[in-house]
Amino acid sequence: MKISEIIEKCQLKKVVFTADHEVNNGYTGDLMSDVMANAQPESIWITIQAHKNSIAVALIKDIKSIIFTNNVSIHQEIIEKAKEEKINLFRTRKDSFTVSGEIYSMLEAETEKN
Amino acid sequence: MKTSYSKEKVSLVNELIYEIKIKETMTKKFIFFGKNATFREIQLKLKEKKISGVPILDTHKNIIGIISTDDVITAFDKNYINENIENYMTQEVITVPQNFSIISAIQKFEKYEVGRLPVTEFLHSKTIVGIITLSDILNKLLQVTQSIAGKIENEELKNTEISADFIKNTPKKFFRFEGSGDDFNCAGKVASITKKYFKGLGIDRDIVRRIAIICYEAEMNICIHSIGGIITIEVDDENNAIVCAHDKGPGIPDIDLALTPGYTTASEKVRALGFGAGMGLPNIKNFADKFEIRSSLKSGTHLKAIINLGVKNENK
Repeated sequence: MKISEIIEKCQLKKVVFTADHEVNNGYTGDLMSDVMANAQPESIWITIQAHKNSIAVALIKDIKSIIFTNNVSIHQEIIEKAKEEKINLFRTRKDSFTVSGEIYSMLEAETEKN
Repeated sequence: MKTSYSKEKVSLVNELIYEIKIKETMTKKFIFFGKNATFREIQLKLKEKKISGVPILDTHKNIIGIISTDDVITAFDKNYINENIENYMTQEVITVPQNFSIISAIQKFEKYEVGRLPVTEFLHSKTIVGIITLSDILNKLLQVTQSIAGKIENEELKNTEISADFIKNTPKKFFRFEGSGDDFNCAGKVASITKKYFKGLGIDRDIVRRIAIICYEAEMNICIHSIGGIITIEVDDENNAIVCAHDKGPGIPDIDLALTPGYTTASEKVRALGFGAGMGLPNIKNFADKFEIRSSLKSGTHLKAIINLGVKNENK
């Protein structure tokens, strides 16, 4: 499933959008070490941690899109860094549980279709 | 249309023509006419779409005939081009069912010397669901062989064992980074530079990721817990990446306890940023092939993680 499709269906706000890409996995977590140890490479990452280190973790795990939940504020510095590293950033008012559930069902439906 | 097929043995294509179904190869949006059409209408359509024949269907999409370019030329010749096709069309139409392999279509192209075949829903059915031509088949074969080639290439990349010579021939690089305590801004720099370097060498992506995670956790440990330290990364003669992190203190009083997942001494401020979950050292240990740590309250902590660059670590 394309990230553009997810953005539209979950009504995510685009903060940085550099390129569309395919999404097959997701991971939800706010602990950096947990995400690094357990997220599948190239997942979409759902978190409330909006700081420069989130970008570093995304780079290590080849995560191309991060969704910041609970409407957390995103500092300009992070936006610049994400643009530089070509990582998509999205924001939503919804909490991590809700967004994860929505995306999970979409990915499941996609798998069944195939 | 007469097409000659090379009798040379092309084993992959030979296999594929028996495997690939007509259903996935045929054109589903096709042009057809009803029995009330005239030769003139069909001739114009054939010209417009550059095709060599159209099936004639009834209202339930059942096939009742076919008109080819030859039929149109005959109609010109015999001067009935403006007439209705019904009495002239070929009524015995060769079709092929969609659940057959493309080999059956190829055989029929050869046997009946045609270039296109209407495809039926199933054997003995008259309902037409598509049209298959030789170019549909060639395109499909090209597409499938390309995707197979792509997959093989990926597999090969994955299985590449980096030879000792290869590592020897690359300039031996020795990275050295200094980190000070509480400096979160440059944390991630070591991991990112190291990742780019090893990726550039063509090392397996999983291995590169493991090295990057180890570097990142080591960096964060220096930032969070120490009063400053250095990280060095080098490649030894046995294809191992060696990540060393030395800090100036204060040292870990109980290393076993520090290696327990979940144990942490990090401050509230650090934890609010998503660090200090007590997973750093356990992560380093898990992602390394070999791991050594010693620490004293006098000289600080010395950590060494060894990651083999050639062989994929299956457990991770």
